[in-house]
Amino acid sequence: MGMSLSRLTEKTNIWPWLLLAPLGIYMLVFFVVPLADVAIMSVTDPRVSLANYQKVLTGALYQRVFINTFLTAAFVTLCCLAVGYPLAYLMAHSKPRTAMLILLLVTMSFWTSFLVRTYSWMVLLGNNGPLIAFLQMMGIEQLPQLLFTRFSSTLAMVHILAPYMIMNIFSVMKKIDPALIRSAESLGAKGWSLFRHVYLPLTAPGIANGSVLVFVICLGFYVTPVLLGSPREQMIAGLIGHQIDEFLAFGLGSAMAMVLLFVTLIILTIYHRRFGLDKLWG
Amino acid sequence: MTGIKTFLMPDRRRFLKTAGAVVTASLAAPYIVRAQEKILYINTWGGPWEIAAKTHLIDPFTKETGIQVKTVSPVSFAKLAQQVKTGTYEFDVTTLGGGELVRANQAGIIEQLKAPYEGGLFENGVASHAFATVLAWRTDKYKEEPKTWADFWNVEKFPGSRSLQRYASRVIPIALLADGVAVKDLYPLDVDRAFKSLNKIKKHVRVWWTAGAQSTQILRDGEVDMIGIWHGRYFEAEKAGAPVGMTWNQGEIERAYWVVAKKTPNLENAKKFVEFATSAKPLAGFSKAADYGALNPASNEFVSADDAKRMPTSPANYKLTFEQDMANFGIDPAELAERFEEWVAS
Repeated sequence: MGMSLSRLTEKTNIWPWLLLAPLGIYMLVFFVVPLADVAIMSVTDPRVSLANYQKVLTGALYQRVFINTFLTAAFVTLCCLAVGYPLAYLMAHSKPRTAMLILLLVTMSFWTSFLVRTYSWMVLLGNNGPLIAFLQMMGIEQLPQLLFTRFSSTLAMVHILAPYMIMNIFSVMKKIDPALIRSAESLGAKGWSLFRHVYLPLTAPGIANGSVLVFVICLGFYVTPVLLGSPREQMIAGLIGHQIDEFLAFGLGSAMAMVLLFVTLIILTIYHRRFGLDKLWG
Repeated sequence: MTGIKTFLMPDRRRFLKTAGAVVTASLAAPYIVRAQEKILYINTWGGPWEIAAKTHLIDPFTKETGIQVKTVSPVSFAKLAQQVKTGTYEFDVTTLGGGELVRANQAGIIEQLKAPYEGGLFENGVASHAFATVLAWRTDKYKEEPKTWADFWNVEKFPGSRSLQRYASRVIPIALLADGVAVKDLYPLDVDRAFKSLNKIKKHVRVWWTAGAQSTQILRDGEVDMIGIWHGRYFEAEKAGAPVGMTWNQGEIERAYWVVAKKTPNLENAKKFVEFATSAKPLAGFSKAADYGALNPASNEFVSADDAKRMPTSPANYKLTFEQDMANFGIDPAELAERFEEWVAS
């Protein structure tokens, strides 16, 4: 594939660029220009200064929300890994029919609108929901409040993002040559040792890919924490929306967005140095 | 203009150029069409609000004037500002609350208007209808009815979870009333005292609601036991058959104003609509249908005694309530909101 593409490029230099042009123009008009506008707004609204950045980087509220955003994203990533890894393993190593069934369930959840999934959690975890009813039936006196807590917003985010993790790890596990495992066994590796020294390193690219995707997507989550959490759990995207919607603070909102973008780019750069971004989509 | 002949037998470059122009034109089409047709675009809250507006304001307006109207929702204050900045208008007319109106007028993003009825103009907004933030509760939870915001704060006498709107300028006056401040001494607001009062209720507030539909849902589903809620949203929960009760006592009234987006190409029609929407009969019909109180006094003769019971502006209810005083607020609402956001997030 790489070969033929390069041969094509040698022959007619202009064609690949022409083919790219519509996308290029589209990206320029609908991505680069608006993004530049946001960058400009962050230093010019309401007046030309760095005051917005000063506020975002030093204000107690913004610091708290930024830190909370990154901690939440990290925690959600860990949870997705804990849930996703065993499930991916099950999919990769069970009979085709079972694997298909699990895959179907995971993709079905993946293709469902996340607003729908968010509201489903509201129904499930609510005071009149099945979970509380079950606890009542079990005779538990002090019923916990599940909804509008860190628990409910984290649970829903893990549910929404887990498919990214599962797909990534699954695709890597599927490609592992069984001969490698057999030869490791023939050399005496068993159980934990086999997993730790052979299987885990082989699946590491999948873990890395899945984790970066989940982490980065989670950084920008908006609706789920707003609807299922409390203001204490709010994430930066929610705060940006709130600033713009209610206070018309376009400059401040832009500055927050730029800081979020910058930090995300740093994370992706580190990832690129270590694993290569080109591998991110398999 | 490229002739048809050359378009049919194009050289490649010209073809791409033409194709590019077609793509650009089709992308820009909504705006071009918009500029030609002179359709009036009205920003609405969607849902039942829009249905009420369509039946009582928009359709009769079109019938009377022949001006076509389309709606855009939801109401977005941010978009109003952005429209003036970019010169791209998605809507010509919208409604604003008092606090927003003051800010919008300061920012110069709304047109100057004239009062269509006596006392109807404030900061270039035409007073249309009023809503109240009222105290409501679950009747399956409390035998005795809470009466005041002090009762809302009293978690010993009325144990259970609470909910308030995450909206500083509405919550602060309520917190002061709960702390024992009399209505006549409320404005200008004693903000420090309000936050001290809020500290006492904070851990019992399970939800700081942000959308009207959400407030109805959590009351109807019993997610919270007591709530500060817009009266129209309360009646929705009541209509749905939920065991709920409310009081007009210490209800916090706010006015909604029609405004016209600054420099809209549809200025004349927009002004006509605002005048029509705040005239006696259409406004009475709309207020009744959307559970508001009409602010044009002439509307009262079109409201039956039964309907008046559900309106915060009817004489019997109005005397129990108080009005937000945006002119004498005591603090810049934006500054207050920032302090409140910091408080609520910590």
